[in-house]
Amino acid sequence: MDLQLILTALNSSKSAYASFSLDAIVFFDKYNFNPGTAKGRQNLDDAEARFTCQLYNKALLSVFKGRLGDVKDKDTAVERCECYIQEQPDQTECRLIVKIICRHGVIKTYKLTYESVEVMHALFNKNAAKNTWTIGASTLRSFAEYFGANTEQLDISTENGRATFTSYTEKVMNGRDVLKQPLQTSITIDNLDFEDFTVEEQLHVGISVKDFKAIVTHAETLKTSITAFYSFPTRPMQLNYHEHGMQCEFTLMTIGDYRGGSVTPAPAAVQQVSAAPVEKPLSRQFTAQASSITTLQKSTTMPPPSEPASRSFTREPQSQRTQRPSPPPPKPSLGTESLFMPADEDEDRIWGEKNYDDEQDTLGWDASANNAPGLNVTRRESESSSRLPPYRSWHEDLNIRIAPTQRISDVKALFD
Amino acid sequence: MPGLTASLSSLGKDVWLQLNNEQLRFTVVPEQGSQVWAVLAIDTIFETYNIQSAVENNTINLRIPLAPLLRALRSAVNASSVSIRLTKKDNVPLLSLTIITNSLTASRPATSITTTTLNPDNAPFPEEFSANDSFGEANAAGFISHDRERTITQDIPVMVLAATTVASIHEPQCPQPDVHIMLPPLLQLKAISERFTKLALTTSSSGARDRRAADAPASSSRLILSANAHGVLRIGVETSALKIESKWEGLTNPELDPQQVEGGEEGVRGHASTKMKEREGEEAWSVVRVEGRDWGRVLGVGRLGGRVIACFCHEHALILYVYLSNDDMESVLTYYIASYSA
Repeated sequence: MDLQLILTALNSSKSAYASFSLDAIVFFDKYNFNPGTAKGRQNLDDAEARFTCQLYNKALLSVFKGRLGDVKDKDTAVERCECYIQEQPDQTECRLIVKIICRHGVIKTYKLTYESVEVMHALFNKNAAKNTWTIGASTLRSFAEYFGANTEQLDISTENGRATFTSYTEKVMNGRDVLKQPLQTSITIDNLDFEDFTVEEQLHVGISVKDFKAIVTHAETLKTSITAFYSFPTRPMQLNYHEHGMQCEFTLMTIGDYRGGSVTPAPAAVQQVSAAPVEKPLSRQFTAQASSITTLQKSTTMPPPSEPASRSFTREPQSQRTQRPSPPPPKPSLGTESLFMPADEDEDRIWGEKNYDDEQDTLGWDASANNAPGLNVTRRESESSSRLPPYRSWHEDLNIRIAPTQRISDVKALFD
Repeated sequence: MPGLTASLSSLGKDVWLQLNNEQLRFTVVPEQGSQVWAVLAIDTIFETYNIQSAVENNTINLRIPLAPLLRALRSAVNASSVSIRLTKKDNVPLLSLTIITNSLTASRPATSITTTTLNPDNAPFPEEFSANDSFGEANAAGFISHDRERTITQDIPVMVLAATTVASIHEPQCPQPDVHIMLPPLLQLKAISERFTKLALTTSSSGARDRRAADAPASSSRLILSANAHGVLRIGVETSALKIESKWEGLTNPELDPQQVEGGEEGVRGHASTKMKEREGEEAWSVVRVEGRDWGRVLGVGRLGGRVIACFCHEHALILYVYLSNDDMESVLTYYIASYSA
């Protein structure tokens, strides 16, 4: 198995799951992984060795968010970033240490507490996803420009050789509130504008606009193409793209009445979606999916999962989150959930009841974290880290540190 | 059109649009701050135009939220054709924009918002295409793969207002203005006004910050505008800590057109602004006090690039007439800005 660092996250409503696999050789300048001594690791042979942990997302974000501006400011430009895991029992354990090395010897060090847990990944059966398309990320990004600021759902449909992306909000308003109804936007393009397009005619499938925007915005920065896989509404859709040793996969729960065949985004029709037809098939479908994957894994040479594979709905990182050693409280300014998109004005959300995050609309989970093909999305924070000679070197750096406001050349000039 | 909408949206949340056979009226009356009453000739905006209403003179009154309207219109900036319809979906009235772009223009994201008028209803933009041609080779490269159409529809929820509802909305009444003066370039005026407003806000007491949050008119951010009949405009700010003033000279004081004034020649002779010309010293100045941030928003209309005549009603109000460029005065935006007392 290739060495890689995989970052994954799941949203609180369990309807969207993101996974970024960073290739050890292509993505990183330097990458060391020594599976030998560390604990918190399963009893696995070397090929399967891995390190997994879980971090408070906001704490991690606070380290990297806003660094984009540093590149422009020459005095504090980031030269490189070193991360390593500190897990030796003779030191403070369970720390992810991030060192951001800037010009003029400025070093910013962050120590984040992690929880050493086995991580889970979202299930996605690519074989069942017969519908697929690929399109340039910049095209999708340009769609997002047209969408109203507070719209919630995105319906993707196909008809007569054309694909339509409709952003809408499922809300019934009365009186003057009608004017607060967000814009409804439909964008229709020719199927030939896709690099690849194989989708069942008249199929409607719905995802969250916010997720869509976050994904296409990131993909566009990589100047790549996005590929979507999905079967039918109420089953997950996967969007993926890869570039520069970064493999990005998003598994999103979809909505839409697959038996009706066509869900128009008009408010009345959408009401049906949140009602009965969706709920039953969902739960059934998930148990089925989870178990089928378990057998698939058992028949291979993979070691048995350490925990029951189908702890799908109830067990989730959130329950563990509460028990962890208290992480540093996030700054209020980090309130936004997305790394790439500014938070929409939430004034509108106060009005709407979000039945989107019903318990049924969650993704299934597999705790075994084996990288079976097609579902190799494990929730591991750091497969390893560039394990530089750890703590000592950092100390040395401390000693040569100078006040960050003064250039070395300035200091020298005084004594010359 | 996006420019007009952006200017309007800086003042209020929604606009009352009155359409009839001859013209379009856009009116923004916010709960606080300045009002806009705009009258536009239909061909300023539309190439083809159909209206049918049961009401006299084919009048339709709509209340339109400005933020979605602005978003919708901006997506039409690079369009090859745009049409807008008043329609109904699930009993909710909508303004539905249908925008057709070709892939080429769409693949180049809109980086600027043009302030040219929009010609909906399948009107090609000749200037759009000529602009593309000047890109030469770079453009040809964009064309190679395809030139396919992309259709965007934007549905904006609106309210249809009854005639009785709008009958109670009246344009403000002002006394005869003392001074008419052509304003200097708005960009200049805006930059200086905003600078003064900021100075006023930062140099006044610490309470100013709270007031800013509430966006309530704070005496600390009031600008003093004054003009005379001899082409001079002053804008100043005065707090306990500072006093600054900028002055423009040599501006034009437009003459009244006797045909536009009640009482004709006689009316002009008796007009407040005629009397003002004879005064001297402090008496010759007509003064208004405006709230700095509100004034800054009003000046945002500069993006439309029209000529602006300011009418000072001493200690009462300031009225701006914004004549949209190359227009025979049929399309005009009127801003009413109330003056605070000293």
